[in-house]
Amino acid sequence: MPSFILHFAHYHEDFRLAELHALSELEGVRISYDKDEYSAGSPILLVDIESTAQATKLVRRAILIRSVSEYWGSGATYAELFGEVKRTPERWAEYKHQSFKFTVDGFGRSLTQAEKVAVIESFSFMGFEGPIRMKAPEMEFLVCEDYGRTNLPVPPETPKKLWFGRIVGRGSRQLVDMFDVKKRKYLGNTTMDAELSLVMANQALARPGALVYDPFVGTGSFLLTCSYFGACSVGSDIDGRQIRGTAGFRKGVNGISANLAQYQLADRVLDTAVFDVCRNPWRSGPLFDAIVTDPPYGVRAGAKRLGRKNGTVPEHSFTIVDGVENHKRSDYYPPTVAYEMSDVISDLLELAAEKLVVGGRLVYWLPTVVNEYEPKDVPLHPALKLVANSEQPFGGWSRRLITMEKIAELGHLDEPAGTSSAQKHDPAHKNFRDKYFNKFEPLDAL
Amino acid sequence: MRLITHNMLKCHVKNCTDPDRQFPLRFKDVQLEQIEAERNDEFLVRMLPRIDWPALLKTTKELGIELPETVPDAPADDEGFLQALHTAILETHVRQGTMLCDGCSHEYKITNGIANMLLAEHEI
Repeated sequence: MPSFILHFAHYHEDFRLAELHALSELEGVRISYDKDEYSAGSPILLVDIESTAQATKLVRRAILIRSVSEYWGSGATYAELFGEVKRTPERWAEYKHQSFKFTVDGFGRSLTQAEKVAVIESFSFMGFEGPIRMKAPEMEFLVCEDYGRTNLPVPPETPKKLWFGRIVGRGSRQLVDMFDVKKRKYLGNTTMDAELSLVMANQALARPGALVYDPFVGTGSFLLTCSYFGACSVGSDIDGRQIRGTAGFRKGVNGISANLAQYQLADRVLDTAVFDVCRNPWRSGPLFDAIVTDPPYGVRAGAKRLGRKNGTVPEHSFTIVDGVENHKRSDYYPPTVAYEMSDVISDLLELAAEKLVVGGRLVYWLPTVVNEYEPKDVPLHPALKLVANSEQPFGGWSRRLITMEKIAELGHLDEPAGTSSAQKHDPAHKNFRDKYFNKFEPLDAL
Repeated sequence: MRLITHNMLKCHVKNCTDPDRQFPLRFKDVQLEQIEAERNDEFLVRMLPRIDWPALLKTTKELGIELPETVPDAPADDEGFLQALHTAILETHVRQGTMLCDGCSHEYKITNGIANMLLAEHEI
């Protein structure tokens, strides 16, 4: 299989391979690469892909991949790189008269215009006679100079590695700007940033024909990104004010519907409803191709569920208030209790195991405490397979984007359903809210 | 609320478990709105097996919406069928109204298309 150069964006490094694999699955493009060659510190990964058409297709929705190029050469020096390029001169003939452009990218070092021009001129041995065109050239070449690291005060003089190829496909990083939360008509304090909302849509394999559900929909970020990629979506939340936009930021625009108009997604974002996911009204059996969500950690949004602290008092429903039975009043709010983080997550896995179709995906954020986290903290379920686990660090805590795939119906399991990996230890995300507000110091040190 | 979503919702009040009564929820005092939407055949065909057809028929009849009695053998090739299905489940919205449970009489209100399905203290 021919080789291609993947040129990654230098953001959310821990998410890049997971997204690449999701795209490979989503687009039906087989890839192979040497795992030892991948580094979070490198902008490039060499990948074998069946054809140029497949390569173009692979990256078209990528948020963390900038471009894919046919591999023409690489080396520690330009002499080495030119040596390799010169082994296939028959390639250049094809492009001799086409308009072209060279993009020279320095990773870990800002290249001056003069330096870039010098690099481009050094390729003149290829004898291109077509015009140079900066906008919409017929072909574009990528030269990437990898200086190794981006955080040194003085960048190194010489690059670690040089790469050269013909760009054959681009990712969709322009969507990050298009979905920028600062541009949204409606948002709230729990709205997820555009870049990660888009990555989640890729992790969920959101595509035409699919139905996606967010059980903690809030202001609807994931409905937007999943539906942008063609899926239909539905959402629910225990807090109707977030959905309707009657409290918090940007009141008066009618909540989520303002964003649907802004992004013209009202055809595919089907519905939102107000209910407690613990007491959900969904019909039994598989309904969704994906569940995509950011569950409340109890920090900014109080994580709550229906109930009363020392047990429900059914009689309260029937107290007469202003001549009306309490629960029949138009502004009746049923009582709620705190919803502890590890319960939120294990309930989410049960929901996914029952409500996803086989092959469907659960994509959710797991908050965790950095110096307590262990991989066995990630809850498991016999009907679900762990596909990806990518960390976004915030110092003392981090959140992990977990992707799981449903592999079996509940009736066909070897283990009885409901046996999420019985966690004999307390995972780092248990009582996350208390740990967060204690600044992650050990509770017994207070 | 669109009829496709309604087709996936049942009453979930504690002890309301008779499958013939808790689903589908009965519409009452509704204001309907038809909003044109782009045809989405891939979605329609993929969702068909997940739709409860008898329930959908019951609901559309109650609302006076046209829908074929049976699903054709090759729905993907049946333009008339797809258009009717599309109009019924994706273009018909209940803007205001109530969803009533025949089993326990709970009334779920729909306001501006958004249903309130929170349960009261005595129902959980």
